[in-house]
Amino acid sequence: MDLFFQKLILQSFIVLNFACYSCVSAANLEATIKFCSTCHGEDGNSVAPNIPKLAGRDPNYIARELNYFSSGKRKSDIMAPVISNVDASQFKELGQYFGKQKSSSDKITDIKAADSGKKIYLDGDEGKGLPACAGCHEPSGAGSSRFPRLAGQHKEYLVRELNKFKTDFHTQESARLMRETAKRMTEAEINDVSEYLSGL
Amino acid sequence: MHRVIATLFLYLMFLSMPLFAQDKPLKNVEGSTSGWNQLSGEKLKALELKGNPISGAEAFKICQGCHKNGAIGTPSGAYPRLAGQYSTVLIEQIADIRSGIRKNPKMEPYSDEHVLSIQEISDIAAYLQSVPIQQNTAGFGSGNELVKGQALYLKDCAVCHGNQGEGNARKFIPLIAGQYYKYLLRELGFIQTEKRGNANPDMVIVLKLYGKEDLEAVADYVSRIPIGK
Repeated sequence: MDLFFQKLILQSFIVLNFACYSCVSAANLEATIKFCSTCHGEDGNSVAPNIPKLAGRDPNYIARELNYFSSGKRKSDIMAPVISNVDASQFKELGQYFGKQKSSSDKITDIKAADSGKKIYLDGDEGKGLPACAGCHEPSGAGSSRFPRLAGQHKEYLVRELNKFKTDFHTQESARLMRETAKRMTEAEINDVSEYLSGL
Repeated sequence: MHRVIATLFLYLMFLSMPLFAQDKPLKNVEGSTSGWNQLSGEKLKALELKGNPISGAEAFKICQGCHKNGAIGTPSGAYPRLAGQYSTVLIEQIADIRSGIRKNPKMEPYSDEHVLSIQEISDIAAYLQSVPIQQNTAGFGSGNELVKGQALYLKDCAVCHGNQGEGNARKFIPLIAGQYYKYLLRELGFIQTEKRGNANPDMVIVLKLYGKEDLEAVADYVSRIPIGK
């Protein structure tokens, strides 16, 4: 086959790929959502307590964290292999899908801990310079695009993440704020605040 | 011909020199080029920016976990009231804490460059200056040495901080009227013992002559100066 036809076929192939991209990607998004839902729940409220709920989290926050997982900026043994199967162009839409779901609340099992946790969450601890979490995460725990929604999140997940901050597992510079804050918390305070937040 | 070109070139260089000038001096403030109150680096950058109080109100959320909603601080003195403080003063203090010139390990991580951008510092400062100051109902000293406190204040402090404790934005002197007693006492102690790190050297000299009761008296007096008088 002469060079002209080879070029024509190659160019057609490339053009067709791009032309069909938008019709293929919609189907792909649905498949990706299904993929994420196996762990995070169809409505974004995961069942397993060590897997975070995504429902009702800010869409920009979700998209940003997906980017961080993808680049390795946010370390996660669980998400690292998973995220390589997801196309980065879908992060924004994934954020929007899960963001508009409604977050559920968990049942509180330790009321005493929750009461103590509420005080820490809303007032912090002046003596040791522990800021009230509510300052950034909002008194309702609803958070923002910058600071995640904590209300209704699984206790086990919150405890784990706070301990990760406390032990410098999350090393990125932007996590300094939380590393310092978690270091100013005792194990009991981490437990109590997480108990309180899970029930919101 | 070459001489003409060379001369023209030099002339053009000469004319364009203002474009190569160093930091243009800030209008409206009086700082130094070195030593105490040196205006340089991030501090200078923040001072040069136009602070947006609306953006600042949003960015202040990072701060309100300690300084509280409305920037009222805590009467216990753990966190000062920031409401109504001059933006110049706030920018200087945040920049000094961030750079470590002012020693404040409790606050330093929360002023980190990954927490606050320079624009945000400027915005927060603009916002805080605009917040109306509420009269305190708590956070005073014993009230037993106010005559002494007033005498000391008028003799030693009013010259910079003003007769009404109103400070001076232009000279980076904080408004201190009605600030919480325990906060004032703590900072006076740090300034006196040179632990603060960014204290005005003149103030250190004055305070070296103060005993414990003098510090308490003057702090108590200042904590009770009516706001906005």
